[in-house]
Amino acid sequence: MTDLELVIASSATDAGIGCWDLHTGAEHLRYRSCSSPSHGLTCVGGRFLASSQLRESKSSSSSILYWSWNKPQVEVKSFPAEPINPLVSNSDGTYIAGGGASGDIFLWQVATGKLLKKWHAHYRGVTCLLFNDDQSLLISGSEDGSVRVWVFDDLLRGKAKQPYEYSFSEHSLKVTDVVIGYGGANAIVVSASEDRTCKVWSLSRGKMLRNIVFPSIIDAIALDTGEDVFYAGGRDGKIYIAALNAVADPNNNFGLHILGCLSEQSKAITCLALSTDGDLLISGSEDGLVRVWNTKNHNIARIFRYAKGPVNNIVVIKQPSLLSTRGSVNAQVPSVKRHGVSLAPPLEKYANSADENDYKAVIGPRIDPDRSVEASYISIQTLNNQIIELQRQGSSASAEMEIERLKLDRSRSMQMILQWGKKFQSLHQFCVTELLDGEQAGNA
Amino acid sequence: MVKTKAPSKKKQQKRGVDFKKIRRKIGRKLPPPQNATNTEIKSKAIILPEQSIASEKAGLAVSKKGLTLKELLQQTSHHNVKVRKDALIGIRDILLKFPAELKLHKLAVIEKLRERISDDDKLVREALYQLLKSVIFPGCKEDSKGPINSLMMTYIFNAMTHMAIEVRLMAFKFFDLLIQYFPSSFLLYAEKILQNYEDILQKNKFYLQDKGRLKNALAGLVRCLSLLPCSNQEEGDSLSYNDATRASLHAFDLDRSNKSTAVICFAGLSGVVNKLTDLLPVLVSCFQDFSPLIHSMAHLDAQSFDCMLFLLQSIDLVVRFFGHASGKNQDDFQNLPSAYQKNSPSRHGQSISAVTLKKLWDEFPLSPVHCLSEKDGDRYFMLNVVITEIFLQLSYGSELSPALLERFLEFIESSLSEKIFNGKEAGKVHHEKHLIPLVAFIPKIIMQVSDAWKSRILQAFTTVFQNCNPESPMKLTCLTAVEEMLLPEQNLEIFDDQITWIRELPNLLVLLGDKHPLHSKAVLRLQLRVGQAANLNSPLAKEYDNMQYIQHQQYTECDPTSGVWNKQYIIQDFYCTHLNGTVNYGPFMRLPRDIQELSVCCLYYFSFLDKVLLQSLASCCICHELEPFILSRIIEVFHSAYKAGHIQIADYISFFITLLSRFQVYPEKIYPTEKHEGKSNRGTFKSVVRAVCSCLSQIGDDVLVLQMLEKIVLDEISHKRPVDNMYGLIRLLITLDSKPTRLSEQTINRLSEVLPEYFLDVVNNIPEEDEESTKLLIRQTRHYYLLPCFFLFDRSNTLLNQILKVMESLMRRNVSSLLPHHKGVLGKDQSSRILSIVSVLLLMHGDLKMQKLLMPCKTEIRNILESMRTLESSEDIMMTIEERHQIRSACDRLTAAIISTLEYH
Repeated sequence: MTDLELVIASSATDAGIGCWDLHTGAEHLRYRSCSSPSHGLTCVGGRFLASSQLRESKSSSSSILYWSWNKPQVEVKSFPAEPINPLVSNSDGTYIAGGGASGDIFLWQVATGKLLKKWHAHYRGVTCLLFNDDQSLLISGSEDGSVRVWVFDDLLRGKAKQPYEYSFSEHSLKVTDVVIGYGGANAIVVSASEDRTCKVWSLSRGKMLRNIVFPSIIDAIALDTGEDVFYAGGRDGKIYIAALNAVADPNNNFGLHILGCLSEQSKAITCLALSTDGDLLISGSEDGLVRVWNTKNHNIARIFRYAKGPVNNIVVIKQPSLLSTRGSVNAQVPSVKRHGVSLAPPLEKYANSADENDYKAVIGPRIDPDRSVEASYISIQTLNNQIIELQRQGSSASAEMEIERLKLDRSRSMQMILQWGKKFQSLHQFCVTELLDGEQAGNA
Repeated sequence: MVKTKAPSKKKQQKRGVDFKKIRRKIGRKLPPPQNATNTEIKSKAIILPEQSIASEKAGLAVSKKGLTLKELLQQTSHHNVKVRKDALIGIRDILLKFPAELKLHKLAVIEKLRERISDDDKLVREALYQLLKSVIFPGCKEDSKGPINSLMMTYIFNAMTHMAIEVRLMAFKFFDLLIQYFPSSFLLYAEKILQNYEDILQKNKFYLQDKGRLKNALAGLVRCLSLLPCSNQEEGDSLSYNDATRASLHAFDLDRSNKSTAVICFAGLSGVVNKLTDLLPVLVSCFQDFSPLIHSMAHLDAQSFDCMLFLLQSIDLVVRFFGHASGKNQDDFQNLPSAYQKNSPSRHGQSISAVTLKKLWDEFPLSPVHCLSEKDGDRYFMLNVVITEIFLQLSYGSELSPALLERFLEFIESSLSEKIFNGKEAGKVHHEKHLIPLVAFIPKIIMQVSDAWKSRILQAFTTVFQNCNPESPMKLTCLTAVEEMLLPEQNLEIFDDQITWIRELPNLLVLLGDKHPLHSKAVLRLQLRVGQAANLNSPLAKEYDNMQYIQHQQYTECDPTSGVWNKQYIIQDFYCTHLNGTVNYGPFMRLPRDIQELSVCCLYYFSFLDKVLLQSLASCCICHELEPFILSRIIEVFHSAYKAGHIQIADYISFFITLLSRFQVYPEKIYPTEKHEGKSNRGTFKSVVRAVCSCLSQIGDDVLVLQMLEKIVLDEISHKRPVDNMYGLIRLLITLDSKPTRLSEQTINRLSEVLPEYFLDVVNNIPEEDEESTKLLIRQTRHYYLLPCFFLFDRSNTLLNQILKVMESLMRRNVSSLLPHHKGVLGKDQSSRILSIVSVLLLMHGDLKMQKLLMPCKTEIRNILESMRTLESSEDIMMTIEERHQIRSACDRLTAAIISTLEYH
């Protein structure tokens, strides 16, 4: 089960969300009525799909939709205060962050649907959002060309001294995509922009490491798992391979730091994603095809036909256990219904300031369908107590472990000393006898 | 030896004969025995006639006096002063004449010379100083400096603690020289050096009565202190050259580690911090010593002025270092053990400076008692500026008495506005130069002072900004200050001034022209930042949009005094303007590429792009001089701007159509490529066509877009444009159209009138050649131009039918129209036209898909053949034999081709 990966694609035209098995190519359900903006599709903790929606007209209100794995229809609709473009959730699926067209970022708690925070993050519309690998940072790119890094904890607690950790504003036009490497707060961030450049930033140093100029606008980037190269999908339909840690031939015909390109006569590349093992690169393009490339030999491994319209989002996820294959949809649905698990409450439109400090206990929906959803409510006090207890235990336990480790070290060193002592003694003995023997021989 | 012995023996014997009586005294030694061997060696002076000075040193480098480097070095430690001095001068000669010597014996030379640093004689030290300054240090600059540093420093320190004060002062001079060439040496020895400076300034004050000496010592101190890491010289450009060329990003790089040495030193600099805290009061008291001077003396002499200036600069640098350190504190000192933190410079900075510098504030403003010349006024002004700088450096966050603050603000305001009333040009430039540091502080001042002061200072600043020369460094500083104050995060609520600044930008761009790319770049950067930061519907955004329009009334009332900038430029003038049909290109066209790109990026952030601006950009785009890269950037940016709703659809479309129809492709003849100075922009145009087609097809549903565009495109097509433009327009049509065609009947009719002409133009522009090698190429080129039409035919059979008919009538018309008038003289071009029609048909026939399409049109083709035959065979028409033959053979070829495929299928 763990090896199975799904490719999920959506588009700005109302063509639904396509869902394929990456390795077999089998298509699963197609979830209906989704017209997502770029970066507007996300999988919330493997439990369900969420997507922000483009407005059809100025009058209609913007929305965020949820789909459960087994039903093609929309399950939950929520209506945020302003149109949301990028949507992202953290890996546990506990929070959802959305970037508004006015430059605001909204942060919701999934389980309660509560709007935890809304703040003015950028001068202009937010174009992309993502969490770093340990979920401690939120990175946002915007139409005003800036990339900003926010500390998630500070956001939640709302007591940040400085609004953002870093603000990189070297891009002169809209930021189209941002990716982040591994390494928590010391990772590198790569951002692409309509000014035809990709810039590599270091989070540890807070400055730009590299600026790569491409022959066309880059709309999508994907970072290689080894962080040796990154892939940049251009509006000219080519996927460029740019060097991070590799040596580029300075006189190739693409430009400095660009190693080569993957190309098939296609229209503009709009989104890129890598499989978890990094062997397969999935690209979506304006012509409605989702291509799977082998990154080793740069050949196309597979093509999924999505629709006529442009693809603008691709997400690769591990196949969730809830998702059944096409044949057994009907068998599974009742079981879900029996459990009566509703997906999640809709997201709130405005922050409710009255009960801000009053955290309610919540149970996250169980991922495992076999176990019944029986859970006891735990009050916040008990939880707090438990946490304190845990911390205390944790600290004493760790101290004990440290002592244990030191003891072990000591005994080991003692042994070493003994050994050395022995060796010295025998050596001494040997020398003495040798000398004595020599003298005796001399005397004789 | 044997020979020399023999005669002496004989003499002895003779003597013995003359004096027989031998008196032998008791105790006297026995004469040597007869057979004793004489072991004495006697010789006269050794003379080696071959050995002369000139010949022996033939291969060696010698000085004017014929001495080698080695000899000279030995002589430097001669007891005679004069010899030592001459030796140093000799070394200078040699090294100047033979620079290679220096490279070879660098360390040896320095090792020997350093001993002279503490020489007792003044002249010798002076000679050494000159030698090091003019020859040795410049020579070793690029080499590794480590050894030189350490070699010199030990002796310099020695000299600094020398008994004789002269030597000691000279040592500071030597040190000054050393750090001029090897700045890194300061940080290594900073603590010790500062200690020495402190000693000399404090304990030996009475030696420093001589202003000249004091000045020298202080100059060195200023240089040292300027090497301290401080906020001014932050790591500079965030992307250095090294980064760009380095292969790997993650690897440990030496460059970085070098950079961090500064930080490491800094961490270990706590000693230095202590020293500086000690030094600061000394400097201040030194400065105070001068204050009675100011009050008593009628005018300030140059030397004491210099001394005061240096003192103030040193104080400034120390304060700046503290400020920087406390700023850095958060980042760098986090990782340090708490012991350092306790000692961190920020605390020192806060506590000491507040107390010690109070004395300095008391002196401010330094004002002359007596009336004085302009020069003196300038001097006082400079001193005041530096004091203000120190004050501003310190004042953030700390509490100061409002009266004091008032005094400084008063000075700032008056000095900013003073320059307008101070008439003289030379003085103005001078004045401006010193004002620059103050102007840099203005954003910070504005953020802290009360509203009343805010407006006063802003007003002064705005006048400075408007009135300083566009090319001056002052303008650059002003621009940076403006940028800081414009960002909406500051919440300054100073819209009026902001608006005035923004209005100044287009003016500046035009005035700067293309001669000052650095300034233009700064202005455009600012413009971009404003555009990015402007929130929708904020006054800032409105003003940004307003850059496209003229605002007469406000401007005239804004600046009534100076009549310099009469005309208010708008942003269009930067790109291109139309005046009575002539096109005037603005500075945009001639600026370097990166600046052009920047200005194109600025366009994106207009929330509404005016038609006039689009027009002026379109004329830039169709100009030959514009680089293809910038052209494609403009298209890209407009595309994004359109998607973001910043351009109206009608303007957007007309921009692209203009581009397609007006772009002048050169050379006109497509083939053979007559060398148009070896250049052609045909490739550029092709990429433009591609870009335009993809942009327009992305507007929306193709059907709707086609409906919108059909009429405009058709109008342009029927205007008989050059072949390439026609090609572009037709391609646009086919990108939007689908199979079967959605073009209206009317359109098809009109197309059928125009297209035959286009075919003939294509064939005429690409004449046939006999050479085999080029034949294929010509065929391909022609096919390329016809291909979009083939798509049209594929989608609409009626179009093909009609076109064939038109071609036939073309052929026939020639003949029929000719007959009555000229009794059958078929002109040269008519016959060639017939030939062209034939080759067009052959080309069509050559395309496999077209062959199928031509099948249903047999009758039309037959008609064409028919008319050709009649034409050829008609006796009424006069034709030369060649022409007749050509037509005949063309006719045959066509028949053959057509029969082979069409007739028998």
